[in-house]
Amino acid sequence: MRYLMLVVSAPDEPDDGPAPDIEEWVAKHDASGARILGDRVRPQEDAVGVRVRKGEVLVTDGPFAETKEQVFGFDVIEAADLDEAVAIAAGHPMAYHGALELRPFWAEEGA
Amino acid sequence: MRSAAGRSPRAVTPPGVPSGPGDKAHPGERPTSASDVGTAVTEAFRAEWGRVLAAVARSTGDLDLAEECAQEAFATALRTWARDGVPQRPGAWLTTTARNHALDRLRRRRVEGAKVATAARLAERVDGVPGTDGTGVAGPDPVGAAVADALDEWPDAEGDEDLLRLVFACCHPALPLEGRVALTLRSLTGMTTAQVARAFLVPETTMAQRLTRAKRRIRSTGITFRVPPPELLRERVSAVLAVLYVLFTEGYDAWAEPAQHVAGCAERRALADDAVRCARLVARLLPDEPEARGLLALLLLQHARRDARLAAPPAAAPPAAATVPVSEPVLLEEQDRTLWRGDEIAEGLRVLDDALAERRPGPYQVQAAIAALHSSAPSAGETDWAEIVGLYDVLVTMTPSPVVLLNRAVAVAMLRGPDAGLEALGVVADAPELAAYHLLPATRADLLRRAGRPLEAATELRRALALVDREGDRRLLARRLAEVGAEPAEAPRGAS
Repeated sequence: MRYLMLVVSAPDEPDDGPAPDIEEWVAKHDASGARILGDRVRPQEDAVGVRVRKGEVLVTDGPFAETKEQVFGFDVIEAADLDEAVAIAAGHPMAYHGALELRPFWAEEGA
Repeated sequence: MRSAAGRSPRAVTPPGVPSGPGDKAHPGERPTSASDVGTAVTEAFRAEWGRVLAAVARSTGDLDLAEECAQEAFATALRTWARDGVPQRPGAWLTTTARNHALDRLRRRRVEGAKVATAARLAERVDGVPGTDGTGVAGPDPVGAAVADALDEWPDAEGDEDLLRLVFACCHPALPLEGRVALTLRSLTGMTTAQVARAFLVPETTMAQRLTRAKRRIRSTGITFRVPPPELLRERVSAVLAVLYVLFTEGYDAWAEPAQHVAGCAERRALADDAVRCARLVARLLPDEPEARGLLALLLLQHARRDARLAAPPAAAPPAAATVPVSEPVLLEEQDRTLWRGDEIAEGLRVLDDALAERRPGPYQVQAAIAALHSSAPSAGETDWAEIVGLYDVLVTMTPSPVVLLNRAVAVAMLRGPDAGLEALGVVADAPELAAYHLLPATRADLLRRAGRPLEAATELRRALALVDREGDRRLLARRLAEVGAEPAEAPRGAS
């Protein structure tokens, strides 16, 4: 199973103390092949919206919907199943300071 | 009614099996009549449904397919057992047959070209399990020599492992709680969707959606049928136990409802029995988890009081002729302890001792220890309230929920008097979790009454009556309000 792991803020929740090291987390899961790809992204104020309406390309500044939760980054995770993906996510420092959201890729089995 | 207690009001019977009396068919004996076979299949259904389902679910990763094939296996049993006799090990026979049905279906899917990759991959996985020969397309009747041969090598322990994997999948915290509870119940007992719907007092279509949604999420989020990795095990065992506790509570609450005035009460009460059965199973499957035994002990001890939890109210005036007084809930301190079931209490105490001996305490063991102190006391007055308050203090450090604090305040009142209880209750006075919980004002009313403050007690009783959503408690509160000398806001005394 492949998962998009969104790294988001959790502004209303308390921090959970010392967290694991991000460099170690990246190195570990790059080495095992579980982390396919990942990066940090710039904050909401640098977001650019793009849509096509009546054949015209409309570019807007800012996100489509203002949310309290900020997306800080993402990783693409390859895991045998949900529990393995959860275990990988639970080792990420932002699981302690913010939250991680696992989004399964569409598979051929669908749902 | 209390007399309706002992037996489950619903018979769980596999489809197509005639229910009715019949002599027990002994394993290995050739049955002589259709009713013998029916009885044998029904017994196998009760004892083996979960394991058969779990085995197919694990090897295919598809709970829907597993349900269909398990049902089909029981239907096949009905046909072939009449012809060939009841097998020595019905569970192993059914499991192997269900797997063969699964393999057959997956191969057919592959041949039809539908969902090619998935079917092929799943068929490969099924091929790798005992009981299938892995060659060619299965014949129209998969029951035959292959099944008989495979039976000898089929270990029973394997069935338990699969069952545990199924329980972890059904109780996965990534599923909605309602779906977890319903799916666990259905998977472990083989109850139909209609039966589960009746037990939870929801329309069948609602329950069908709830189950379908949970099963779809198992597939779409990548939940597999396995024991979670060690770093997640502790939380996931808690998740399983929480589901069983919710299941039990559904039934437990119904035991304090006047059954003749509450629709579906009998079905809901049976959930408590189901939950005890499931807790017993999970405690056996998780021998290294004292909390699993703690939960079983807690359920046994609480359920053992069921016959004493309702009684006719003390008649203030002689009831009109031919009027049967409606039962009301009886508080623990006022229950007739001779109605408690001694054998179940004894078992609960044994299971608890066994769990505590591991010296790895947890919230269920502590709650069971509190229940055990109640169960062991000859009367409310002779209860060791100091010990109970001490255990609540421990429980508060483990799970500082407002409900725990509320119950602690009740124990404090028994130990040090109503004023001390009211003071302890102050901690949760503004807890948002209890804002709609009728037992907060009801408890405060009880303490105020005992403290000799009837006017304030009446105010609290009215508040509780505005919140209560249970018929039994509503009647009790209305009578209490009448007793403290105030007029009930609405329901006049003696109605119904």
